[in-house]
Amino acid sequence: MDLHAIAFWSFSALAVISAFGVVFAKNIVYNILSLIAALIAVSGLFFNLGAELLGALQILIYAVAIVVFYVLVISTVPEYKGQSVDPKYMLISIPTGFAIFLELSYVSIYGAWASSTGIFTPEVMQDVGNIKAVSSMLFTKYLFPFEVASLILLVAMIGAILLGRKEQVMEENQ
Amino acid sequence: MKELILISIGIGIKSLIFIIGMFLLAAYLTLIERKFAGHVQQRPGPLHVGFHGLLQPIADALKVLTKEDIVPNFVDKYLFYLASLMAFVPAIMILAVIPFGEPINIFGYEIKPYISDVNVGLILALAFGSISIYGVIFAGWASNSKYPMIGGLRKAAVLIGYEVALGFALVGPIMLAGTFSLREIVEAQQGFFGAFIWYQPLAFIVFLFSILAETGRTPFDVQEAEAELVAGYNTEYSGMKFGLFPLAEWYIATFVLSAIAVILFFGGWNGPHIFGPISPYIWFLAKLFLVFMFLLWVHWTLPRYRVDQITEIAWKVMLPLTFINIFITAIIVIIKG
Repeated sequence: MDLHAIAFWSFSALAVISAFGVVFAKNIVYNILSLIAALIAVSGLFFNLGAELLGALQILIYAVAIVVFYVLVISTVPEYKGQSVDPKYMLISIPTGFAIFLELSYVSIYGAWASSTGIFTPEVMQDVGNIKAVSSMLFTKYLFPFEVASLILLVAMIGAILLGRKEQVMEENQ
Repeated sequence: MKELILISIGIGIKSLIFIIGMFLLAAYLTLIERKFAGHVQQRPGPLHVGFHGLLQPIADALKVLTKEDIVPNFVDKYLFYLASLMAFVPAIMILAVIPFGEPINIFGYEIKPYISDVNVGLILALAFGSISIYGVIFAGWASNSKYPMIGGLRKAAVLIGYEVALGFALVGPIMLAGTFSLREIVEAQQGFFGAFIWYQPLAFIVFLFSILAETGRTPFDVQEAEAELVAGYNTEYSGMKFGLFPLAEWYIATFVLSAIAVILFFGGWNGPHIFGPISPYIWFLAKLFLVFMFLLWVHWTLPRYRVDQITEIAWKVMLPLTFINIFITAIIVIIKG
């Protein structure tokens, strides 16, 4: 057992246990707490693989910047509403969840694993470092998808502002 | 296996030294703050325990540790205990990526005055710093009480705004240095006029505001505004659980963020070698102390902003300023090659 194997197994175990917590915890604040734990454990896995940039961004963007909004909303939900479980939603959620599981396993077996060899060998990574490798790919080969993604985010932002404004105007009229 | 044990022991000892040192330092930073605050407000500050209050931190620590630990009836016990640690642990984790000087040789061993030198050190420091807001939000929620809840939500609103501004403010110095590693950023600033404060004054101003907001110091201390919210998010806490919050926020986080400010803008441990071999450490600590005292000075001089004004400054003033800074810096970097 070397250090990498120990780190891999402990972070994976933490990630899986916290993922169970996200699904099965009764209190919604505990759900969100387990989600944070799972995201941080996954970032530990990235560090273990030598992808420091991904690991650091995983903590900064997923575990903090995005989840903090969930926490803001969920911590203001009254406790009795968070605890109610309505079995009729399971009719939709269980088939949907199973379909997503099948799709993910298909993609990871035939898509991601088949093309797991990138153009950067470990020696090149040692030489140029994470950040330069990621940014050189992002701004050459993947420039168009990157720009499209930023356009979608811009549209979402404008839409959110529009929705927020409308409510305010209605409140003032009343 | 042998290598693994050696690495673990080395990192363990180093981390212990950093953590214990930080605890002692934070204890004495409380004394410095109270003395300073006293003299700002024309009163002597702590005087009676030891010479001019020198033993006051020890008396305070004993008092906080031996106090009866009251947990109110209707709190969520698990989260209530966890929240105080969630605020404290990430703040101290930032120490793992902060370099305090260059490697030195003692008795043939190379001793590095930092725990790790990953090449994304700056992003990691930012990430750990922002995790600690969960401590405040969950403390507010777990207390199951009005004022802590309001305090926690206010802190979240302030931090969401200033995290963004802080992140963009750091882009300027990173572009000039061409690296994310804190050690290499220091090496990029040689000489008195090499310090990035001369080239990045806008970024420094935004960074200063963000430190104040992130550590909850006075112009921005809405999360515990004692005139409105009793004591904010830590109203229901007592004993050492209460002590951990200000220790983490006011002292360790402020200290660590001042260290990052020194590294980014004031040339880190660079300085004339007038104290012999230990001069890098003396320069670093002297600069750090000056930044820390500046923050204390702001804290004990200014009144508090309203919470909507604070978020308005973050989004409408600080964020555009950082964009202007990035734009100008990018043009200059391209022109100079």
